[in-house]
Amino acid sequence: MPVPKVVIKVRKARDGVHIIDIMGEINAAAEAPLTDAWNEATAEGAKALLLNFSGLEYMNSSGIGLLVTMLIRARRQNQQLLAFGLSDHYRQIFELTRLNEAITLYKSEADALQSVG
Amino acid sequence: MFAGLRKWWRSLSGQGEEPPRPPGDARLSAPEKHMIDLDMEPDDPFMAHLLEAQGVVEIGGLNLKSAALEKLRAEGVKVVVPLISQGELIGTLNLGSRRSEQEYSSDDHRLLASLATQAAPALRVAQLARQQQAEARERERIEQELRVARVIQETLLPKELPVLAGWKLQTHWRPAREVSGDFYDFISFPDGKLGLVIADVTDKGVPAAMVMATTRSILRTAAEQHQAPGEVLSRANSLLCPSMPLNMFVTVTYALLDPANGSLRYANAGHPAMLLRTAGEVVELRARGMPLGLFEEMEYEEKHAALAPGDFLLMYSDGLIEAHGPDGSMFGTERLKQKLGEPVQNERLVQSLLDDLSGFTGDGWEQEDDVTLVTLEHEDDGQDQAGEILGEFSLPSRPGNEREAMRLVEGMIAGLGFGLERVEKIKTAVAEATMNAMEHGNQYREGLPAHIRVRARPHELVIEIVDFGGGKEIPEAEHPDLEAKLAGLQSPRGWGLFLIRSMVDDLRTYSDSVHHTIELVFKR
Repeated sequence: MPVPKVVIKVRKARDGVHIIDIMGEINAAAEAPLTDAWNEATAEGAKALLLNFSGLEYMNSSGIGLLVTMLIRARRQNQQLLAFGLSDHYRQIFELTRLNEAITLYKSEADALQSVG
Repeated sequence: MFAGLRKWWRSLSGQGEEPPRPPGDARLSAPEKHMIDLDMEPDDPFMAHLLEAQGVVEIGGLNLKSAALEKLRAEGVKVVVPLISQGELIGTLNLGSRRSEQEYSSDDHRLLASLATQAAPALRVAQLARQQQAEARERERIEQELRVARVIQETLLPKELPVLAGWKLQTHWRPAREVSGDFYDFISFPDGKLGLVIADVTDKGVPAAMVMATTRSILRTAAEQHQAPGEVLSRANSLLCPSMPLNMFVTVTYALLDPANGSLRYANAGHPAMLLRTAGEVVELRARGMPLGLFEEMEYEEKHAALAPGDFLLMYSDGLIEAHGPDGSMFGTERLKQKLGEPVQNERLVQSLLDDLSGFTGDGWEQEDDVTLVTLEHEDDGQDQAGEILGEFSLPSRPGNEREAMRLVEGMIAGLGFGLERVEKIKTAVAEATMNAMEHGNQYREGLPAHIRVRARPHELVIEIVDFGGGKEIPEAEHPDLEAKLAGLQSPRGWGLFLIRSMVDDLRTYSDSVHHTIELVFKR
């Protein structure tokens, strides 16, 4: 497997709400870092996960597959998945794949945080 | 073995290898230890005696008619201890009289015999090491000669291809490890005509390279003196014959092209016939003539062909048609003609031929001979059809290399006026198609590259991505459905082709026996 070219950090915004900062590439090599981040947030009791894509440089179909996997896991844990910071191009890809129907998209971190009940 | 013997004695004498001894140290004074320069004939009876002795041999009482024995006695040797390794006599320890002038005791014999059994294998190892060193030096010498020959050969090949409006020349030269004598040459004439040469010198290595050099300059001289290809070869043959080493000759095809009207006059000195691919057929351009350098006063038949727009001429060396498959069969002219007749675009033809050759010879092929191709294409006036090639490149099939494809394509299409959003779509489509090519077509085998060609037509951008996934069924991709995936009814993956389709205006795919090609089309 190639070396992941991504740095993923988990920030706790408040109880039950975690922000996952993604910087770099979401491709097949990002599987482990992405899974680790989800595990970390889940272990801390995350009920809502906010994916921060403002540092995203590249995402391919394998990366989309990883997001679907995360979505499946999140649903099992009754977690809500949100995203912000996507470029127009990747926002369009979210729409084409209808990922935006399962992962609600927001313009900014503040907007996303506000929407979490 | 005898060299070994001699070396052993030399090393015993320790010439120039010993540290200086303190004065007064008489343990090893010169007369007791010196080299005996001895060659023992294989049929010397002393040799057989030593081999059978299995221990220390007192030579005083031996009654053998042996030159070696006599010499040893003359040198004052009393006792000979054979050193035998794996049944072979590899040296001897020779001792003179004891200091005490007493006979050697049975203890001495045992000691010497035991020393011999330990020394013999060590000596054998040392001899083998020396032998290997010598062989390595010999290999290095041969490699060096090959390098020299290769440099000569490379120096002789044209550095640049002539540029002719409406014509496209291409060359391909894949040298075998052992240098053979393939070369090609182009001679430009003041009236705009172009001479094309392809030749193959028999033999290999430096001699072939030297004959190549001579032949090349002789052909140039002859071509400057005569217009007609038949006369050129006839003249070159006369000039070459006197200086040609015995058992060597050169096969040559010489053709003279008039780019203005597509007229091609040619003559042939025993070289494989050129192949001309026209709209309807593939024909061999044969002309009679003996190889150069065999017989003086030879005549060469001259023929004529007309190259229409779209026609494609292939000159090649026998390294192509005489390549062997794993079952021992040859690639052959028929296969080449058949391949040339396939509906492959001209510009793809050479690559397709070479891929076919690789497919034929198999993976482990050690190339027997140089493979040299010269192709001449009379470009079609319908330029719109092909469009302008903005660039092309190959990438090893390695995860992550699709990023490089994106970067390169982005650079190539920079001047086409696509907006930012379109460029992103093009890049994503290129990335996904390249990934598919590397993963599904080439199984991420680095030796199999993904080839990408970017072409601008007046109303569309076409990006071709070629992999080695030809000749097999490509399974119909399932339409990805998020709900089905979330419900576990589909794999979470499988978005690639869907993404590509969403990004492009049109998508075309085609396969031959080797390649699978996907064409991404974007309207301009």
